[in-house]
Amino acid sequence: MPRGYSFEQIGITEAMIATYADAVWELSNNIQIRRGDPIRKLDFTDFETQRPDLGMSDAQIAAVLGLTRDQVLAIRVVTEVRRFRRRNYHRLYELGRGNRFRADRYVAPAERAGFREDALALRAAVRFDPARVAEFVRAGWWGSDTLARWLTSRATEAGARTALSAPEGDLTYAELAAQVERFAAGLDALGLGRGDVVCVQMPNIPEFVVAYLAIARLGAVMSTAHMPYRAAELRTLLAHSRARALICLSATKEYAPAVAALAMKSGLPALDHVIALGDRVEGAIPFVRLAGIEGAPPDDLVSAPVPADPFLLLYTSGTSASPKAVPLTYQAMLGNARAGVQEHRIKADDIVLSAPPYTHLFGLYSFHLALAAGATNLLLPVFTPPDLAQAIAKERPTVLFTGPAHLAALQKSGLLDGTDLSSIRLVICSGSACPPELARAVAAKLPNGRFTQLWGMTETQAGLYTRPDDPLEISATTAGRPSPGTEVRVVGPDGAPLAPGEEGEFQVRGSLMFPGYFDNADANAAAFTADGWFRTGDLAILDAAGNVRITGRSKDVINRGGVKYNPRDIEDLLDAHPGVMQSAIVPMPDPVVGEKACCFIVPRPGSAPALDELCAYLQERGVAKYKLPERLETVAEMPLTPTRKIIKGRLAELLAKGN
Amino acid sequence: MNERAPREAASDPDAAELKTQIVEYCKRKGALAVGVADLDAIDLVAPPGHRPRDILPGVRSVISLGVGGQTQGAWTVPTKAFAYFGSTEGRAYTIAYGCSFFIENRFRARSVYCPPDMDPEGGARIPLQSLKLHAELAGIGARSLAGDILLHPEFGYMYYASVFTELWLPPDRPLDSNPCPAPSCVEMHRKTGQTPCMKFCPVQCLSGDINERGEQVEMRYDMAKCAELTQQYEAVPAMLADAFAAPDGPARERALSDPDNALLWYKMSVGSGGLLAQCFECMRVCPIATRAPLADPIRRATAADKKA
Repeated sequence: MPRGYSFEQIGITEAMIATYADAVWELSNNIQIRRGDPIRKLDFTDFETQRPDLGMSDAQIAAVLGLTRDQVLAIRVVTEVRRFRRRNYHRLYELGRGNRFRADRYVAPAERAGFREDALALRAAVRFDPARVAEFVRAGWWGSDTLARWLTSRATEAGARTALSAPEGDLTYAELAAQVERFAAGLDALGLGRGDVVCVQMPNIPEFVVAYLAIARLGAVMSTAHMPYRAAELRTLLAHSRARALICLSATKEYAPAVAALAMKSGLPALDHVIALGDRVEGAIPFVRLAGIEGAPPDDLVSAPVPADPFLLLYTSGTSASPKAVPLTYQAMLGNARAGVQEHRIKADDIVLSAPPYTHLFGLYSFHLALAAGATNLLLPVFTPPDLAQAIAKERPTVLFTGPAHLAALQKSGLLDGTDLSSIRLVICSGSACPPELARAVAAKLPNGRFTQLWGMTETQAGLYTRPDDPLEISATTAGRPSPGTEVRVVGPDGAPLAPGEEGEFQVRGSLMFPGYFDNADANAAAFTADGWFRTGDLAILDAAGNVRITGRSKDVINRGGVKYNPRDIEDLLDAHPGVMQSAIVPMPDPVVGEKACCFIVPRPGSAPALDELCAYLQERGVAKYKLPERLETVAEMPLTPTRKIIKGRLAELLAKGN
Repeated sequence: MNERAPREAASDPDAAELKTQIVEYCKRKGALAVGVADLDAIDLVAPPGHRPRDILPGVRSVISLGVGGQTQGAWTVPTKAFAYFGSTEGRAYTIAYGCSFFIENRFRARSVYCPPDMDPEGGARIPLQSLKLHAELAGIGARSLAGDILLHPEFGYMYYASVFTELWLPPDRPLDSNPCPAPSCVEMHRKTGQTPCMKFCPVQCLSGDINERGEQVEMRYDMAKCAELTQQYEAVPAMLADAFAAPDGPARERALSDPDNALLWYKMSVGSGGLLAQCFECMRVCPIATRAPLADPIRRATAADKKA
């Protein structure tokens, strides 16, 4: 409404605005050109000739264009409103304090890369109880930790210290940081950025670590695929995680991951890049090309990762139709690891060896601890008993992360006795509850070290552990006490906490806890109690001192005619039988009593124990009759997870097929 | 060049004395420079509707005064903070306001301080009067390559205010020479084609040419780009339009109250008005604005003592 008149009164139409907008824009003050200095020189003739270029009043423009002044006013103001960009002032926020504007370096906030839709969907799954968050921050369990900050600190404070020790050579923290910067720049050049999921399927080699830290440096999220996974598993993981890139080997001895990934790429709309380490693969981006990019990724506020960011998306059952994907944030994971450094007493001069793969959270936990402490990671690309024994003997690690299955394999291959373990001052054993006899046997072989156990899950990282000073009997028979910031309880079928000594469902909550499964509402509904406790699925007994003994999995309980029992104790006894290498008991359906116990064994070479013999052996050791296995199956090897836990579900499937 | 006879005799001793008293009053109150602009010259440049007589029909003189003085520290603060340092213009208005009372009380001539704001009938970005024109004709500033911002060879960058009075005062002449571009800027322009103000403008709204004698040949100023950066006239209606077009409640809430817009509401309600209002980068890098001989208030005081 110019000067009180409506557009209708002065005859303004959209057609008129469109016709004269450019002319009014140019003749007004919006663009000004002055030649010489006519006013100061009082040269008004010259000034008059320049008036159209200097900017005219609305009345003067009206006279030139054959419009009324009010029409010009209306056209000018409407045009300015439509053309002027808003929020252009943001660029001023970067100026002052000696900073000068550089047009060639400036990218407007609106033009800077943001989170993609998939990344936002993942972030939407990261939701914590606000009251607990305030508590975690106040207590210091959640801090300022990010992998990028940790790496920068290590490279700055102790750049010459060895970060990675691998068969192909060592890398100092300074060298590692430089490689990470280059690879991050390479990933950035591919358009990967904050919140994007990048899947990594590689063994424990330096390139895994470089990729992991580079992904984190960009604020992206690493998902992992275990090395034994093939196309079917990989497809499920890549589809569910909406991974934008896969970093893998060009080929292994029996498989070509990069080729397989490229073949499935057309069915995975989110997957933009396959990055292959090794021989050149047509269609894949060579890992070495990205690693060779000079420079650094952008370091502005938009892309800097922060502790609240999710940085890992790990799968607990990646091969199922309904994958359980666990998003993990720096605050929860690295806060837990930071506390773990103190509790496990990891020092900068430690050499940390992880038998489990880095594709598994237990392997990553070992890496997180070593990075937090500035220690050396001794890389074992693939576990075999001889390789582990050789690495220990030759490289002299001081801290060994291992699963009971690794130790059992070492023991049963005879290498536990023949390997010099004198360098080891601490064993941290996790993955499943360690049979006490095995724990004692390992502890006895450590002249200078302590054996400890740790309980954790992908959802929690390290929830319980025994401490280095704990008596062996505690470390051999329990998973220890909660890590800082962690609360635990054992509950009965009614959900009420049980007294010490009673077996029940083991539940956890605290600052270490994951926020919930990504894109799996059913799993989330089943995983948490109404008051926020995570149902671990484990059975446990709490002792009076607060130590927790993990006694089995609730889904492994056998319900024989209404009498339920946990077969774990029986498995421990069977594992000690001279003719048995490994055992597992699973329920088998029975039309009369509901379920009976079926025992699977891997016999020792030259042995073939029969069911009767094993039952007699168990009864001699006080096992009640109703707990005795009623069927025996002999297998050449157990189906194992990447952390070498027995997959009892597979055994149940075998049983069903056999029937 | 137009040579025009002044309306009154320039040598009128009484008028000269009155002018001296007025100048002294303004300087006593904090003005750095004071001059009288030629009214006829203003009329030749200012478009109809924006001439002094459109405000005060009986006006016979236009007094222009300038204030300034940023500390060296002020030139180093973040731009978002420096934007508020522009409030020194308020000091100029206060002096002009007092000056008009001074003239009325002392000399019995109707006077008014010139409203510095927009012409409500003129739409956005059209002022009632050009204070810059008054100052230039009064000889207390010359047009620079930085979007016609006025600079003074001794006082650098100033804020201006004007007084219109029915008292006749002998007009001053514009400055004999233009301090812009400074020798260092001429040298830089010769090497790079840009002066500091051109190079460091955050929206690159400035360009221009300098001749071999180091004088301005052409000044090009994209005022629209400059205004986009520093003025927010269009922000509120655009925000409301966004809210109307929002697909759902949360998007509407964001459109109205995201952090930027919430700040805008604050500025409009209880804050200090304009969001940033000015950017000052061209002046921050200007050797005349920041290092003119008497731009520094301390040096100015020392110079005044010596003169006394």
